[in-house]
Amino acid sequence: MLLNVEARERWGRVWEKLAPYVFISPFFLGFAAFQLFPISFSVYLGFAEWNPYVRQGTGLSFVGLQHFVQLFADARFLNSLKVTGIITVVCTLVGTALAVGLAVLLDKVPEKLSMILRALFFMPSVTSVVVITYIWKQILSEKYGYLNALLENLGLERHNWLGSPSTALWALIVMLIWSGLGWDALIIMSGLRSIPEELYDAAKIDGAGSWEEFWYVTLPLLRPVLLFVVTTGIIYLLGLFAPVQLLTGGGPLHRTETVALYLYHQAFDYQEFGYASAIAVTLTLIMFVASFLNYRFFGGEVEY
Amino acid sequence: MVTRRGRLSIYAISVFLCILAVFYAFPYLWMISTSFKTDDELYSGSVIPQNPSVIQYYRLFFGHQVGEEYNLQYRYPDYYKNSIIVTVSSLVLVLTLDALAAFAFAKYNFFGKQVLFWIMMITMMLPVYATLIPSFYLFSRILGWVNSYKALIIPGVVDAYGIFLLTQYMKTIPSELMDAARIDGAGPLRIFWNIIVPLSRPALGTLAIFKFLLVWNDYLWPLVMIREETMYTLTIGIAQMQMRQGMVVWGVQMAASVLATVPVILLVLAMQKQFLRGLTAGAFKA
Repeated sequence: MLLNVEARERWGRVWEKLAPYVFISPFFLGFAAFQLFPISFSVYLGFAEWNPYVRQGTGLSFVGLQHFVQLFADARFLNSLKVTGIITVVCTLVGTALAVGLAVLLDKVPEKLSMILRALFFMPSVTSVVVITYIWKQILSEKYGYLNALLENLGLERHNWLGSPSTALWALIVMLIWSGLGWDALIIMSGLRSIPEELYDAAKIDGAGSWEEFWYVTLPLLRPVLLFVVTTGIIYLLGLFAPVQLLTGGGPLHRTETVALYLYHQAFDYQEFGYASAIAVTLTLIMFVASFLNYRFFGGEVEY
Repeated sequence: MVTRRGRLSIYAISVFLCILAVFYAFPYLWMISTSFKTDDELYSGSVIPQNPSVIQYYRLFFGHQVGEEYNLQYRYPDYYKNSIIVTVSSLVLVLTLDALAAFAFAKYNFFGKQVLFWIMMITMMLPVYATLIPSFYLFSRILGWVNSYKALIIPGVVDAYGIFLLTQYMKTIPSELMDAARIDGAGPLRIFWNIIVPLSRPALGTLAIFKFLLVWNDYLWPLVMIREETMYTLTIGIAQMQMRQGMVVWGVQMAASVLATVPVILLVLAMQKQFLRGLTAGAFKA
């Protein structure tokens, strides 16, 4: 009996030491299996040809830098870089500016109304990308869409918004800005509310008008929040996939094909896993560099 | 203190925002309106259906009569069921594992803690594309999990964001509570379940709603993992409606979208407080 109690106590002490490792092990096992292994393999694949369907052996053969050399001579890849770049820059600049404007206005109206409006503007952020994209696809459809019906009623000409090379990308960009606006505005608004009221009082005493107040007090103090909004936005846009695949499929004439969509085509349509991995590695590096630059540009402590 | 001019401009801003909101919400109005239209009216471009009908909803569940003899079945109830099963199991699994890991990081000192925490934080920055192709291979060829719930649920255990969020919260729970329980002979699991979990409920609520949205709306991973129509989740089911049928099924698609979206919006509205807290926590971490 006495021995039993002792043994139990000893076990209790061991368990007390062991417990944290047991508690974090699911994450790290998952990390090893679903991240560390795939990433290492991804990087390796970037330098290899791979046919996973061979009967014997691994189907892997090392090709060195070949994919990367090929990549930067691949007009379709360079085009996808350009498309992704345009989308990212335009959506980030216009989207963030609009969101700041919306947040400032939402902050001025009575709280009850502001709450209702916020919920409304926030709806796209909780709606599936699939649903959002198909609604827009319908509205923009050439023959049956609402937009063209409206234009015709106004005596204007119908236009094939998603099918013509000159407008497809802009239609996509408008949809993206629309769907991200509420999310950004809400986060920026929480930043606005954390700015101490005294700073505005001080600015008023100094004779600042509302424009100066915005420019010299609000905007600088919003920097950390803007850093967050812009960084997460850029990461999302650089890896943009679902809205493009569903809205235009990358067309017409690859005018809307993003890097991520091109990667998907290479991997799952053409089975070029090695080449697709080289694209994946490049895309990941681009994301890291973009986050870093962003941090350098916006980062640093806020000084009051 | 509000001046006359100030009050006037508040009215002006309010009116402006309300008009803007109507335009902003138009796609939603269009979705709902289309879902209540009959086939004849689908292409009319009218915003309000002239003869509102639930035929599009009816078709989702009971099939779509095309011509005389062809009845198209959508399996929409299956999509819905699959989405619910995947989302609920993911939530239970991920919240439990996240909370346990966060408990370890927040309340224990152990060898290697700092390093492990940083490794975890770095995984947050990895884009899905960095792992997509090998993961696809791992799950389909090695594990043979194509067309299974497991394939959609298990990868979710690697949730650094959730662990981070909960760790930050659990650090604020006073350690004295744990010490008292320990003197009473409670082991780590008992302390976790009886003290940490109840006190972390707000943070768990926030995380639950974020996770819910993420899993419910996920598209890319189900798209590569699921081939069998009976295993489709809502997102790929709705997306494939148009591609697969090779015909325009807009009315049905919008009905499917309404049913997939409206409950989510209502849920988020109901949990607005938790949601906002999580959102701003993210913003100020940066």
